[in-house]
Amino acid sequence: MKTIYVDNNATTSVAPEVYEAMVPFLTEDYFNPSSMYEASRTAADTIEEARKTVSKSLRAGNPKQILFTSCASESNNTAIFGVAKANPKKKHIVTTAVEHPAVLDVCKDMARSGYEVTFLPVDSSGNLDVVNFVRAIRPDTLLVTIMHANNETGVVFPIENLSRLVKETHPEIVFHTDATQSVGKLPIDLSGNFKHVDLLSFSGHKMHAPKGVGALFIRKGTPCRPLLIGGHQEGGRRAGTENVAFIAGLAKACELAQKHIGDEERVAALRDRLENALVEKVPYLEVNGAGAPRLPNTLNIAAHYIEGEGILHELSEHGICASSGSACTSGSLEPSHVMQAMGVPFTAMHGSVRFSLSRYTTEEEVDQIIEVFPHIVEGLRKASPYWDSVNNKPREDGLMA
Amino acid sequence: MPWEYSEKTKTLFMDAIHGKPGTHLGEIEDPDGMGEHGSIACGDAMRFTFRVEKDENDPTKDVITEAKYLTFGCTSAIASSEALCSLIEKGSYTPIDALKITNKDIVDYLEGLPAQKIHCSVMGAEALEAAVFDWAKRRGVNLSELGVELPAVEEQEGRIVCECFSITEPYLKRKIQELELKTIPEVTDALKAGGGCSSCHHAPGGLQDVINEVWGTEEAVQVATEASTATASDEKAPASPYQFGKSVEKALNDYVRPMLQADGGDVELVDIKDYLVYVRLRGACASCVGAEATLRSMVELNLKNQVDQRIRAIAV
Repeated sequence: MKTIYVDNNATTSVAPEVYEAMVPFLTEDYFNPSSMYEASRTAADTIEEARKTVSKSLRAGNPKQILFTSCASESNNTAIFGVAKANPKKKHIVTTAVEHPAVLDVCKDMARSGYEVTFLPVDSSGNLDVVNFVRAIRPDTLLVTIMHANNETGVVFPIENLSRLVKETHPEIVFHTDATQSVGKLPIDLSGNFKHVDLLSFSGHKMHAPKGVGALFIRKGTPCRPLLIGGHQEGGRRAGTENVAFIAGLAKACELAQKHIGDEERVAALRDRLENALVEKVPYLEVNGAGAPRLPNTLNIAAHYIEGEGILHELSEHGICASSGSACTSGSLEPSHVMQAMGVPFTAMHGSVRFSLSRYTTEEEVDQIIEVFPHIVEGLRKASPYWDSVNNKPREDGLMA
Repeated sequence: MPWEYSEKTKTLFMDAIHGKPGTHLGEIEDPDGMGEHGSIACGDAMRFTFRVEKDENDPTKDVITEAKYLTFGCTSAIASSEALCSLIEKGSYTPIDALKITNKDIVDYLEGLPAQKIHCSVMGAEALEAAVFDWAKRRGVNLSELGVELPAVEEQEGRIVCECFSITEPYLKRKIQELELKTIPEVTDALKAGGGCSSCHHAPGGLQDVINEVWGTEEAVQVATEASTATASDEKAPASPYQFGKSVEKALNDYVRPMLQADGGDVELVDIKDYLVYVRLRGACASCVGAEATLRSMVELNLKNQVDQRIRAIAV
């Protein structure tokens, strides 16, 4: 059975070109880039070239502002803990209720150690209220950390506007954004639309580089202390021997993403095709985040009256790889914090499924999902005590709520 | 991580959903016993119905001949329901004898369940109990006279310990004893209690206290609670002096807005923090290429002249 991979917000396949770019550093060019002998020069040069490539792809200006890390979670941890360490007197952080755990849980940890954290709510479409945001900013605010695009729903926050609002009134407040889901999918210009952003995190494996490499953009002059100490690497901002092969892979992935940014329109068209067909074929289906600007590749839907894990199980039987915000899939007993923050109706809260496409997704694959999905929902609804299969609608004697 | 379901669990799930003959998905019309457990808000729920071959002289000798279920829940919840029905039909039990089927029997039938999924099997056993209670009522059988205790039915009432999943103290106590649950994680896996906000874990009268009470532990095992000091999201900025706000509002209404409105635009006051006046340009102004100039020359300048030179206008 052919695998249909539509879980690209979880991870992506490694692009063949990326793999090619990495191989030399896993074979003959294995030298430590910090060594003195001539043989290590290629490794050292490769890292600096990669820095330039990554910097160029984000129009970041001076490549020294790019710090290579092991993943976006490390980048996020470095940004938040690093800024706090550099400004020990300020104790207020602004973030949102729907961040990835690599920001949300770090902020909760900060709250436990004496920081005051404002978690901004979102509306039922997943949008932030700008007025709420403005009110949350205070003279003693240390850091604003708000994601660019949400990993579960694909909802895009107006980082351009939010960062401008902060910098126009309080240039000393540090603005961080976790752009893990948007780099390579949306235009990011650190000298243009993102010129007010001080720190930006992302990772390789969401953009067809392998797992285990990420980056943090640190705008020159931003107070941020290192998280990993004990080495001179990365200008003393991150200790640890550089992962040369993976850094080369990340650079190649950034280059490819630039080259393929036009494909995002095609991806969006495929996503819309999937969305429209499912909405048409499946009654009582919610599109989470439909009322907000969204990533071109993400579709998060919730089928009322059934549970998401069973859907995933059956999709998997058809070779379709997707994910769910259902409690049952996460090992926790509560549904996703994003669905809860959006106030998704409780009859649909447990039935959410996320399809996330990539530039490698084909029309045939999308059509295959359109073919299979409605039957899966129908089958599970037949088993549901809340669904009247004869009349194809919710049961009126609804059972306990 | 993919769930580590046994082949048996996966097969039962797929067979049930695809209506393979011999599976038990559905609902018996005019059943002799009907029981429900769980709720959609909590993530799993089950409606269990059975039919009996009635014994004309002695209802306690009724034999269950058919059992069906409707279940909202994950793979293992549906497989557990299927297991329960199979066990019952195979055993030709009387309803009272069927009560001997425990969640452990269901887990064994499924050839094991991941620890976090044990609550799925518990749900089956609870729904069965409720259905037997219903049968007894319909058939005029006095269960307590027969020495059959059906605590679950009465335990709907009682002090709620876990608010997230509406789990009561009497129910918790009985289940902790029955399933020999010794720690909070065990309680959560089996009963879901404490699996939500976790605020009941170490609260007075919370899970740890209930566990201690059941097992007679003198000293509570104190684990540091996750005290969240995070504040609510509607944190208000320091209030601006009322008079200042009023002046800004007046200046906007008297001078700025009439001018903008003449051009098909408008401005709305959003917030004031010290001398920062946040506004939202409306109508024609919102999309105007000269919005920045409008903001500075019309809005900000007027506010400066009318109210205070230190004012800065910020477009939201």
